Amino acid sequence: MPHRWGMSVDLDRCTGCEACVVACHAENNIPTVGPDEAARGRAKHWMRVERYWEGEFPDVRLKFRPVLCQQCESAPCEPVCPTYASSHTSEGLNAQIYNRCIGTRYCANACPYNVRFFNFYNPVWEKPLDLQLNPDVSIREQGVMEKCTFCIQRINAGKIDAHANGREVQDGDIRPACVQSCTANALVFGDLNDPESAVSRLSRSPRGSKLLEELGTQPKVTYLERETWQESEGTRRG
Amino acid sequence: MDRRDFIKTTAAAGATATLAGCGNPENQLIRFIPEEPLFPGIATWKPGICSLCSAGCGLLVRVMDGEAEVIRNGQAGILKMGLAKKLEGNPDHPISHGKLCARGQAGIQVTYHPDRIRQPLRRTGPRGSGQFQEISWDEAMSEALSRLNGIASADRKTLGVLTRPLSGQRGVLVSEFLEKFGAPPATVFEIFGDEVLREANRRSFGYAQLPTFDLARSRYVLSFGADFLGTWNSPVAHSVAYGEMRQGRPGLRAKFVQAEPRMSQTGANADEWVPVKPGTEGVLALSLAHVILKAKLRTSSAAGRAGELIDGWTTGLQSYAPEAVATRTGLASARIERLALEFAEHGPALAIIGGAPLAHTNGLFQALAVNALNALVGNVGKAGGLLFTPRPDIAAARLAGRNLRDLAAEILSSSRAPVQVLLLNDANPVFGSPPAWRVAEALGKIPYIISFGSFLDETSALADLILPDHSFLESWVDDVPESGTSMSVASIAPPVMRPLHQTRSMPDVLIEIGQQLQPPLSLPWKNYEEMVKAAVDVLPEEPGSWERIQVQGGWWGGAPMPQPNWVQTARRETPATEAQFDGRSEDYPFHFFPYASQAFLDGSLAHLPWLQELPDAVATAMWSSWAEINPRTAQNLGIVQGDTIEIKSLHGTLQVPALLSPGIAPDVVAMPVGQGHQNYTRYASGRGANPLSILSGVTEPETGALAWAATRVRIGKLEKSAQASPLILFSGGMQEHEETHR
Repeated sequence: MPHRWGMSVDLDRCTGCEACVVACHAENNIPTVGPDEAARGRAKHWMRVERYWEGEFPDVRLKFRPVLCQQCESAPCEPVCPTYASSHTSEGLNAQIYNRCIGTRYCANACPYNVRFFNFYNPVWEKPLDLQLNPDVSIREQGVMEKCTFCIQRINAGKIDAHANGREVQDGDIRPACVQSCTANALVFGDLNDPESAVSRLSRSPRGSKLLEELGTQPKVTYLERETWQESEGTRRG
Repeated sequence: MDRRDFIKTTAAAGATATLAGCGNPENQLIRFIPEEPLFPGIATWKPGICSLCSAGCGLLVRVMDGEAEVIRNGQAGILKMGLAKKLEGNPDHPISHGKLCARGQAGIQVTYHPDRIRQPLRRTGPRGSGQFQEISWDEAMSEALSRLNGIASADRKTLGVLTRPLSGQRGVLVSEFLEKFGAPPATVFEIFGDEVLREANRRSFGYAQLPTFDLARSRYVLSFGADFLGTWNSPVAHSVAYGEMRQGRPGLRAKFVQAEPRMSQTGANADEWVPVKPGTEGVLALSLAHVILKAKLRTSSAAGRAGELIDGWTTGLQSYAPEAVATRTGLASARIERLALEFAEHGPALAIIGGAPLAHTNGLFQALAVNALNALVGNVGKAGGLLFTPRPDIAAARLAGRNLRDLAAEILSSSRAPVQVLLLNDANPVFGSPPAWRVAEALGKIPYIISFGSFLDETSALADLILPDHSFLESWVDDVPESGTSMSVASIAPPVMRPLHQTRSMPDVLIEIGQQLQPPLSLPWKNYEEMVKAAVDVLPEEPGSWERIQVQGGWWGGAPMPQPNWVQTARRETPATEAQFDGRSEDYPFHFFPYASQAFLDGSLAHLPWLQELPDAVATAMWSSWAEINPRTAQNLGIVQGDTIEIKSLHGTLQVPALLSPGIAPDVVAMPVGQGHQNYTRYASGRGANPLSILSGVTEPETGALAWAATRVRIGKLEKSAQASPLILFSGGMQEHEETHR
């Protein structure tokens, strides 16, 4: 059976530390755009931590939600692309094929999650910052759309490693950069086609839900709701 | 001749030919054959230690081959070498557990920063002008030596060291160097230092160190202002444990309560957020203790020494009844009572104090009060409670010379500066100290300053000579963590990569200076590597361990919690209980609340572009300074989001954009520390405003620590024409149709 990659995000664990955000920058050669472009809403963060205020002072709560490409099974970004740059892989990823992309930005328009980022300019790596670039990930040029890939370079490396060692990919072998860095272990990645994988088990949690699932996009990222403390729960012994 | 030697020989011959035949220096080629076995496209992983904060997270660095444009001896060329590509946490390391925070992830940009100082510099313009000339290491070392020999023959006490906190062998070396030279101990400067908490822990528990919180086994966590998941203490270690506390134990999820007047990133995760008035956290802690004692859930003697330090403890803290403190703390008495009973009944329970509550004039009292609360429920050294890390015997005692405020005052009051030559290591007090301390003026009176800085910042711009240090990926690094684990840890890592520029490691330079002084200092090591190796030799290990330590990134093992040390902890006067504020509340109605920013900590990381463009988790702002105010306060003053406001204290004025935030008390104005650099690389210079520049210089009287939360301010809206740096918010994608709400 082919793999079907998915992720679970435990909002009860997430602390909003944003290690995932910078880990993604470093892994995927995401350039900074600078303050002027950032002010136009053009900063590129394949992974971001959204924050929601609830209530008013003093009864106020703040909730964090890491948002990345939801790798939809039925992805609104795919059918709108005139050049098939935005396409579905056999393992269920919403791939962005850079050298097909002609920059119509229809996909970004169609995406309800705001996780696609357009290169209005060529990326700038002021020397010697270019030496940090990850040779496994291509640099996106002006006029090209880019997005989270679930660190496909790591997925491929994991599969090659497993094959070289004559075995199947095992749960936990492959971790995207955000998952590897997640300090509170809120992010879990794995194969949804393996019912015993950690991500499959977590995705079945009664706390689980999908982002904007009423749109019918069938995301492969499951969010586990933050819990509230109850006196009885706190006194119960594990 | 094996293959490697063959390539070396032929390459050397080729290089000679290339250099001789080429007139254009840009095209000249220096060929270095890498010493390490590198294969194109194949990554190797090497251990390292993150040096961006004091937590000391163990790293695993991805190294791949690459070609770096370098300059060596005035000649440009291309160096084929192993290059660090990505920093990850070291999964075996007891602090990082394979994880790394956002700042650590961006730490790779320190090494590759375009504005790094690439070779020694000599000042040419007036001090602070930033005009320097590149010179060779020979020239630089002989200049430094002649200055140091000069004071060695005149007055050895006039050598000073001003440094950031140093743990591990760097600290040992600096102490030894100064002692052998005959100079006074080093002055340590850190904006968000923890002297107050160390002193309180010494008095209450007999440990002069930061605590570790056993969150993973705790059932109730009550934090007073501590940003322990974000910027304070050992955030990665505590975040790992926090995840377990929330969802790691089937059927048991601890309650987390955060008491603070401005919601921090850590506070956002609390089950209950308690906006206590600034400076009354200690009163709240004692009121909780009062309720617990009154309900006879614990006896006062349970708290032992930590309780005895508090006035009125044995008689049940009569003056701290919830009704009596309700107005001061701003909390309903019923709520205080409920929190106290929850805390006592859901053991193991843990109280944490850190950050702003310690930075009041009554900070020591507040820490002692929270310590007593911990002791009352008996959690010290227990599972789910407060732990103290056993440190192996190789750690330096904390460098403890004159504090910066006293040093500056001494320099300013004397006709001839008591420091004639200052060695400056990675501290930026010109940016980070309150104007009342007059640090820049004092440094200006020191005739000669040598900096080991990697970047020009506000303080190193005053230096006469800069001997640039390697980055932490290019040098031997070692660390003995103060907190974050119950294990005994000595982190040690050899250089991950060869130096990119013509820099030298600070400890090596110090050892070399010691050897070449007239007469030489009797330092027992040839270089820093040897020093680290000698220190490791005393660790309990079998032969071959040195190699293993280098591969795994340090030495660690289980150890019992150390015994308390009660030396010099006689009963003292109870410190002041009331916080004093600078500025009368009639003229300056708001508490000013600077806080360590998620991206830049104390401002030392504002030079990294990834962190500049990292949206703050609570504010979502990038590349900006901002002042957080309560929406109701804003409405009363006619301020809307993004308006430029003026913040005025007795000591200065700032202009910053307003950010309306429901998570802040109406009488508090908060600002992240980190922006407002005048001079700190192309990414940070001239951006935003520095809240530290309007702080009062008041201190906690017993420790001398800066009370950075004790300043009062008034605010007002400025006309549109007075535009401060704009507020840039991350909108989460492209919204080109709308230019106003970013």
